[in-house]
Amino acid sequence: MKPDNKGSFLSDFAPWLRQLRQRQGRLWLGALLMLLTLAAAIGLLALSGWFITTTAIAGSLLAVGAAVSVDIYRPGGGIRFFAVTRTAARYGERLYNHDTVLRLLADLRAGMFAVLTRLDGRSLGRLRAAEWLNRLTADIDTLDSLYLRLLAPPLASLLAVCGIALLLWFFAPSVAVPVLAALLLTWLWLALGQARLGMAASRRRVAALDRLRSLTIEQLQGLAELRCYRTLGMHRQTLSDQEQDLYRDQRRLGRLQALGNAVVGLGVSLTAVLALWLGAGLYTANTLSGPLLVLMPLAVLAANEALALLPPAFTQLGATRAAAQRLNRLVASRSEIQEVEQPVALAERPPKVVFENVSLRYSSASPFDGDHEISSTQSLLALALDDVSFSIEPGERVALVGASGSGKSSVAQLLVRLIDPSSGQVYLNDRNVLELSISSLRQRVGYLTQRTELFHASLATNLCIGNSQADEDMLWQVLDLVDLQDWAKELPLGLDTWVGESGRQLSGGQARRVALARVLLTQADMMILDEPFTGLDEATVQRIAERLDTWLEDRTVLYLNHDNRCLPGVSRTLSLRSGRIVSGAE
Amino acid sequence: MRATRKSDISTPRGWLGAQSQDVKGWLVLAAGLGILAGLMTMLQMGALAWIIAQLISADTPLVQLNGVFVLLLVVIAVRALAQWGQESAGVEASLRVRSKVRALLLDHLAAVGPVGLAGRHTAGLGGQLIEQVEALDGYYARFLPQMRLVLVLPLVILALVLWLDWLAAIFLLLSAPLIPLFMALVGMGAERLNQQQFIAVTRLAGHFLDRVRGLTTLQLFNRADASIDEVFSAADDYRRRSMRTLKLAFLSSAVLEFFASVAIAVIAIYIGFGLLGYISYGPASELTLFSGLLILLLAPEFFQPLRTLAQHYHDRAAALGAADGLMKMLELPISTTKHEQEHEQVSVTKASGARVHITEASVSYPQRGVVLGPITLSIASGECVALVGPSGSGKSTLLQLLAGFIKPEQGDVEVDPYTQIAWMDQRPWLVQGSLADNLRLAAPEASDAQLLEAVAQADLEELVSALPKGLTTHLGERGLGLSGGQAQRLALARVFLSKAPLVLLDEPTASLDADSETQVVTSLKRLVAQGRTVVIATHHPALMALADRVLRLERGTFSQHGTLSNETR
Repeated sequence: MKPDNKGSFLSDFAPWLRQLRQRQGRLWLGALLMLLTLAAAIGLLALSGWFITTTAIAGSLLAVGAAVSVDIYRPGGGIRFFAVTRTAARYGERLYNHDTVLRLLADLRAGMFAVLTRLDGRSLGRLRAAEWLNRLTADIDTLDSLYLRLLAPPLASLLAVCGIALLLWFFAPSVAVPVLAALLLTWLWLALGQARLGMAASRRRVAALDRLRSLTIEQLQGLAELRCYRTLGMHRQTLSDQEQDLYRDQRRLGRLQALGNAVVGLGVSLTAVLALWLGAGLYTANTLSGPLLVLMPLAVLAANEALALLPPAFTQLGATRAAAQRLNRLVASRSEIQEVEQPVALAERPPKVVFENVSLRYSSASPFDGDHEISSTQSLLALALDDVSFSIEPGERVALVGASGSGKSSVAQLLVRLIDPSSGQVYLNDRNVLELSISSLRQRVGYLTQRTELFHASLATNLCIGNSQADEDMLWQVLDLVDLQDWAKELPLGLDTWVGESGRQLSGGQARRVALARVLLTQADMMILDEPFTGLDEATVQRIAERLDTWLEDRTVLYLNHDNRCLPGVSRTLSLRSGRIVSGAE
Repeated sequence: MRATRKSDISTPRGWLGAQSQDVKGWLVLAAGLGILAGLMTMLQMGALAWIIAQLISADTPLVQLNGVFVLLLVVIAVRALAQWGQESAGVEASLRVRSKVRALLLDHLAAVGPVGLAGRHTAGLGGQLIEQVEALDGYYARFLPQMRLVLVLPLVILALVLWLDWLAAIFLLLSAPLIPLFMALVGMGAERLNQQQFIAVTRLAGHFLDRVRGLTTLQLFNRADASIDEVFSAADDYRRRSMRTLKLAFLSSAVLEFFASVAIAVIAIYIGFGLLGYISYGPASELTLFSGLLILLLAPEFFQPLRTLAQHYHDRAAALGAADGLMKMLELPISTTKHEQEHEQVSVTKASGARVHITEASVSYPQRGVVLGPITLSIASGECVALVGPSGSGKSTLLQLLAGFIKPEQGDVEVDPYTQIAWMDQRPWLVQGSLADNLRLAAPEASDAQLLEAVAQADLEELVSALPKGLTTHLGERGLGLSGGQAQRLALARVFLSKAPLVLLDEPTASLDADSETQVVTSLKRLVAQGRTVVIATHHPALMALADRVLRLERGTFSQHGTLSNETR
């Protein structure tokens, strides 16, 4: 999908603004605190200027002996009040708004995670690419600061600008109007002008960085080929061209942002001069007092602080918008896996499995990497399963063997509805799996995937994913089944030992066995075990296979493996090659 | 400087400093323009105060002040230009440093070579290279120039105020000794923020990514819905904990803010009292509306550079963190023969096959000891040699030695350095782009006809002609859409296209099913028939059958009994 440049700008942000609305109260309060900080800054400078001028005039009158009384306490108190308010409001605002942003982060993360949980197996497989995941996190981070960068500052600064004009209006309406016009013009430039000028480049920047990243990764992965073919220099050139593209955009944006920052100073200072000049006219005509003449330009100068927040945020608006569009596409993606209106629960007994002329095509490109036209060609390139038919009787143990990429995992994914077939039917207990309730299906069919996915959590937590009701005895029982009981007993923290990257590193074989234990804990009536013994030594395999043989009794079992060695109790072997069953289907 | 600073180049800070040497000019320009902008600000404030004082105290008619108004406008314009120039120069400095660092890293990683990088997560490494180099941006673009401004501008303002009214200057000066304290405070605040926050943020992002990566598992165990709450509470818990640190961290900048505000207030009140004649001490009686206003207007500017620096402090922390990672990358040991990558020009070899001589060569690794050799081997032009033996026997090492990815510890390897080599292993390397792009990696100049010929020789003709877009068909990430066998044959088409006289194949069929394997073997037969010199490491009998000679490797040396010639069978 080509990003729609002209299309409704607001509609890209609409879902995110709607999400923000849930925390409306906080957002308004945060913006108010921001405004209070700005108002205090304006008040401090304006009142100080007014006070000095008043005292100067009074001082010169006193010097010639005139009797003047000057109230020095109220302005003095006001100055101190503004000074303290500015500090306190600023501190409070930062703290409060950070809290808000972190709340929004929690909302967004959970919201996006909910979206991802609806994706089907194939999309999830694609999503594992590290680069994609990193961009997703970066996109979410971009949007959680939407409020703090793009909503509150323009709002608070607009109100501050109006406040300054209002203040001036009390003393000299003829000054207030041109000042308001000039400041509004500056504000408009900083918000809309910067956004418009930076839109294309800041959108491109993200894509250019992505492209540079993939070229760099490609180069590192292909070093052997590139060096042998003596084309490393050529690839480096491509990479360097891409880098230059990125830098061109970054340079443009950097200068544009510099322009914006300069315009803040320029616009505010020129407006202050305008206020002074107009005020001077009134002063010489005796319609404006000296102190008020000073107050006006000083109040205008304080607008600097209000407007300075705009250029960095709005120059990069295009990047924020691109992030919103990418996430919108992801949110809009519908899983191909849908439950029927009134799903049936799968009966509690070892199921019978029937595959009837099942074919599976790689579907069209997923909605979130949709830059390429893979969809039209993919079907031609490969068929994952081609007219597969077989059946497994209740309680039977069947091995499905074949090389990697032959389609074994697809068969398993079809059974638990991580994917649906392009044509043909899959039956469990004579019920089409499409009619079954997905949760009951997955509860009754345990599936040990080829990839071992353990979470950064304790051993117990990892196991309990298989069965949240499991008590400690059950955990030890399954650990015994996979021959990890002794190992776990010797851990200082036992079942509370943290596993995964930030905790104790498990060897590949140990991780595999934990994953196996987890799926056994489900006590499901059917087990799909995809290469259950990867990374285990022969002796361990023998021990586990023996215990497993007893445990699997009266359960329907489908093994997926390279070959059928060491798989306990296999009564029949189906052989799969390039998506076709070549033997064993009867 | 390279000699003088060598000692601290090993620290991230020293390293960052060393990288800035080439852009010193830009950084000085940025700082210089920043100082100019600062001076213009002072001039602007002076002109404003002057005009006001003239109007109110001296009753000068407005028309006589037109000249000053014009001057004021010019000053404002120059200030805006200088400000723009300052930031643009900073951007330029940052771009140049990043470009240089990126080239440095890519050169280094290329020299580390495929063997040195084996076992590393290259996707992670590549991503890290991009992110961490980008993280240097703010440090050079903003932090370093601002660092210089902080040292100059407050002093100039102080000098000016001193000249106007020394008592007011003392108020500022009183806070001046506090400035290093502020900096330390701000620094510590930012440091704490960054250390603790960074760890927490990384952990939270890690938690999120961990759950996303494991989504299939969560779905399979019906735990996906429960995990949504878990993701939320992890983020919310992080919020509660980080708010505790933020309360303290924000205090440092609040203190800075407080002093800036209070200094303005104190000065305003002092000037007011002075102008009223309430203060008879010191210079207060000499205060005028001009000097009073100017001091008031300069007071915030005195603190402004420091406040800006505080805002950029996180740039520094980010750059230090990135420098740490990048330095680790630069420490990866180089395992390659030197200057290998410089031989980009391919000599036009007349002979279709390369000759190879290995004399008494051996290779060893620090942890594993001797993995190959000493071995002696001669391969004639156009010969096909199969290397067999159990895994770990040194087959791959021998191929890597021939390819020049590693250098022999002893002995000699003679392969013409200008010879193009074709390399293929069990993991076909594909890039994002069209089929043609993927093929041209071996021969950038190849014509479409040559591509089609190579495709035909690799038995991919049927597939390509079935594609509506033919060779321009785009492959997705990681060759998405191709089966393993198709991808391997695409890599093989690359070998055909290259015309390389030496072909090195490392278990080319190891991950293929029987059908694909047969197809690849058929194509390889054609390759051998072209008269190229081919060396194959393999377990497969069909590939051994292709070879003129089968050499058996065991624990890094040729086993005496294993060497047999197919011709004598």
